Amino acid sequence: MYLGPVLVTFAVGAALIVLFFVPHHQAQAVNAEILEWATIVYAFALILGSISLWNTHARKVRHRIEGWPYSLVTMITLVAVTGLGVVFGTAEGTAVYAIYQSVNSPLASTMFALLAFFIASAAFRAFRARNLEATLLLVTAVLMMIGRVSIGEFIWPGFPAFTEWLLDVPNLAAKRAIAIGVGLGAVSTGLKIILGIERSYLGRSN
Amino acid sequence: MPEALNTDWFDPTRANVLVGILLFLTFLLINILRARRAGTLYIRPLPGLTALDEAIGRATEMGKPILYMPGLGDMSEVGTLASITIMGRVARKVADLGSSMQVPCYDPVVMTIMDGVARQAYRESGRPDDFPPGSVHYVSAQQFAYVAAVTGIMIRERPAANIYMGSFYAESLFLAETGNLTGAIQIAGCDKVTQLPFFVCACDYTLLGEELFAASAYIGREPVQLATIAAQDWAKATAAILIVAALLLLAMGRPELGHFLQTS
Repeated sequence: MYLGPVLVTFAVGAALIVLFFVPHHQAQAVNAEILEWATIVYAFALILGSISLWNTHARKVRHRIEGWPYSLVTMITLVAVTGLGVVFGTAEGTAVYAIYQSVNSPLASTMFALLAFFIASAAFRAFRARNLEATLLLVTAVLMMIGRVSIGEFIWPGFPAFTEWLLDVPNLAAKRAIAIGVGLGAVSTGLKIILGIERSYLGRSN
Repeated sequence: MPEALNTDWFDPTRANVLVGILLFLTFLLINILRARRAGTLYIRPLPGLTALDEAIGRATEMGKPILYMPGLGDMSEVGTLASITIMGRVARKVADLGSSMQVPCYDPVVMTIMDGVARQAYRESGRPDDFPPGSVHYVSAQQFAYVAAVTGIMIRERPAANIYMGSFYAESLFLAETGNLTGAIQIAGCDKVTQLPFFVCACDYTLLGEELFAASAYIGREPVQLATIAAQDWAKATAAILIVAALLLLAMGRPELGHFLQTS
């Protein structure tokens, strides 16, 4: 039952690995074509996504689950914006473009601006000196903050260079160690899927 | 003048990647044979994964749902593939214990696959009729719309456990910090180095980088899956040895190995 999809995965996965090493223009044209298929699959999946969104919020409205008026707003917006986009298009000067620029973009920017407060709240919790590691983190953070502002250089002229060293040596070494691990993990997961060792994406544990 | 078409059948600047893949495949085959012969392989316990059972048990006792977030990656992200596998294992435990789970998705393709995997987990558990349709649902493909919707779910429904597994970006701290404020037990696994500090600050347990990829194999405990983790460790040790060797050779005026290891 699962042999067909596994074979397709193996064939496509192996082909893409081979194409990575082949710079020939015809091979790269095949590579680009395969990658374009992903866009087509995405477009069809978006229809399923919209149906899922509608069903989730319709259920909330039907059963008057807490926060259902927000769901109603979502459903009305989904229908209205889709309708406007289909009838009038999405180019500059259309209603969808205006909604995107005047509603969606400011809301996204507002959310992003809140990040500063979330960072402050998380930093406050992380920098409490509960144990040796947290104390080291606290000391490093304080040194970093002092070294990155003008007063740091005034206190000790070597502060900016010291913070640069902290970033470029111990910090970068740890980041690269994690990045090497991530790279190897990604290769391992990719090979597991291509070789059929991992099949859970087909809806089966093994 | 038109640009000349490339007619080469092999890119020599990528020879190092080819050697790396072949080496990894060799390690994989050796470890699969070892695992088949021994029946199992020892893999050090990961606290974040042992806490998964605890989190699911806690949610079941409290009668509250588990919120599983697969991140913002699409199907081309390996972190998303690892997340799908872990979600399948989590869904199986949720089904066994009769608890409930919500999976809000950012990508419609990921949602479709996650839905199939969760349904299969309920079938394998012998409770196909208990699968709540709509528990794996699409939210939005806009980063901050997704954040607003998911934090809304956290505040309104107060899940007992929040599980973040996959590729996360700027939304990581929004989600983890809001989850922290609601008092939920939080377990995260992320392959993005820049987002890991946020999860470490706001979550109870964090799987760092490669541990996310090891998690799916670790939870399943199948020998062949464990062999992939062992192969990963062998490859990491080889990488460390090669880096040190390249540095020593460079110090002795022989930069060839260092040049070979550099990616194009």
